[in-house]
Amino acid sequence: MIEALPLVLDALSFVLILVLVASGLVIVFGMMGIINLAHGELFLLGAYTVVVAQGLGVPFWLAALLAPVVVGVIGLAIEFLVIRFIVHRPLDTILATWGLSIAIKQLVVLGFGPGSHSVALPLAGAVTVGAFTYPAYRIVLMVVAAAVIAGTGFVLVRTRFGLLARAVIARPGTAASLGINTGAVNRTSFAIGAGLAGLAGALVAPLISVDPQMGLGFLVPAFLAILVGGASSMTGLLAGSGLVGGLDRFLGGWISPVLAQITVFVMAILVIRMRPGGLFPGRRGRP
Amino acid sequence: MLEIKQVHAGYGQVPVLRGVSLTLEPGAVLALMGRNGMGKTTLCNVCNGRLAASAGSVFLADEDITGLPGFQIARRGIATVPQGREVFEDFTVEENLGLGRPVPDDIYDWFPVLAQLRQRTAGTLSGGEQQMLAIGRALARRPKVLLLDEPSEGLQPSVIRDIAAVLAQVVADLGLAVLLVEQHVELVQTMATSVAFLADGMIAEQVAVSALAQALTESQGPVHRHLAI
Repeated sequence: MIEALPLVLDALSFVLILVLVASGLVIVFGMMGIINLAHGELFLLGAYTVVVAQGLGVPFWLAALLAPVVVGVIGLAIEFLVIRFIVHRPLDTILATWGLSIAIKQLVVLGFGPGSHSVALPLAGAVTVGAFTYPAYRIVLMVVAAAVIAGTGFVLVRTRFGLLARAVIARPGTAASLGINTGAVNRTSFAIGAGLAGLAGALVAPLISVDPQMGLGFLVPAFLAILVGGASSMTGLLAGSGLVGGLDRFLGGWISPVLAQITVFVMAILVIRMRPGGLFPGRRGRP
Repeated sequence: MLEIKQVHAGYGQVPVLRGVSLTLEPGAVLALMGRNGMGKTTLCNVCNGRLAASAGSVFLADEDITGLPGFQIARRGIATVPQGREVFEDFTVEENLGLGRPVPDDIYDWFPVLAQLRQRTAGTLSGGEQQMLAIGRALARRPKVLLLDEPSEGLQPSVIRDIAAVLAQVVADLGLAVLLVEQHVELVQTMATSVAFLADGMIAEQVAVSALAQALTESQGPVHRHLAI
């Protein structure tokens, strides 16, 4: 049993990071109906923010705080300069965000080269309980990710901004005719979604090699997670990320990574076939 | 208060409104009647910014609000009770009314039933309660102009009478200018001060509400011509 514990914790930390990445996607899709194909690159920019900040001598934790701010501002600029003009044309937003993802990736290659960069672990030690040892940073990462997810849920459910955001999700036209600035709510939501991706990128940067392709490795499972769980609800997000991330890492470590990926895709296909809206579809898209 | 001048609007290449002009005065209720598809809801949507006019202007208290975003028009004082009510089903009554801010007390004075239901989810309310909620939600924004789009739709006569009585009181209390889009002649007779008939995207006729009763009896009168009764 004790041998399986690191595997379970690895799976849990991956699931939590996946929730962070996918929550940005869910917020943006839920609010604006936009499938943001540049989301993986926002994650990537979070990791590169840490690379740059550490290069300037900024401590990791400060850099990790800076990353969501920097990427959130980039998200705000993307929404203001591109998305708001095409927000009511879903196909155009897919093309535009795909183009943005290529542009951002190439800018990163131009600025930092195609090779990988590494970020020093901010906590090098391990936590030992009896015969069980686990890296301290991974435990901190899980706690931080869980806290951010809980905070995001709190903002969406318990604050006035969250109420207005849910009103815009449910009935954008009605919300506007009640005096809610739907454009500002959308812009803020896009920035929050981008910031969450940036934070996720910053947090995983010490655990993986930071390179221009790293976004894709998280974007695909994040999309699978929201397809399985449902694209318009936090419950769906948690369920989808749990299933996709949990199966991928647990089976990957237990049996083989290839079999784990096959299982995840088969499960996703079955869920989409039987429940096209995902396990917890939520509500969106009325007047 | 609200002046609509030669408004043209439509959907894509299909014109719906073709030069509509109307004036709403404070404390007056102008009923807009017409067959389905004549452009009554379209006119409401132009006034509240949901649909852009292709020509013409809308003035609110002498300010040209044509083309302003919907939220800015709402903040300037035009509130809408949309057809089909469009309450936020997953929100409580209180959340619907206040949208995160305290609900003005007079809303619960006008609709005491909403005070009893304030923690109930809007999706679980009856049609009449949802209509009261939609009206209360619009009034909570403290509008100068109220656009009421088919408030009697799907409601039983006793509920329509209750809502009409409250609305008459509210209009008198607040001095609202009201555009009432309605097919229910009895409600129009109870609430309206004048009636405009919309046909083929234009105002075909405008009469005082006192003329409506007589018009109902005339087989060639405006009610028969424009409503196909």
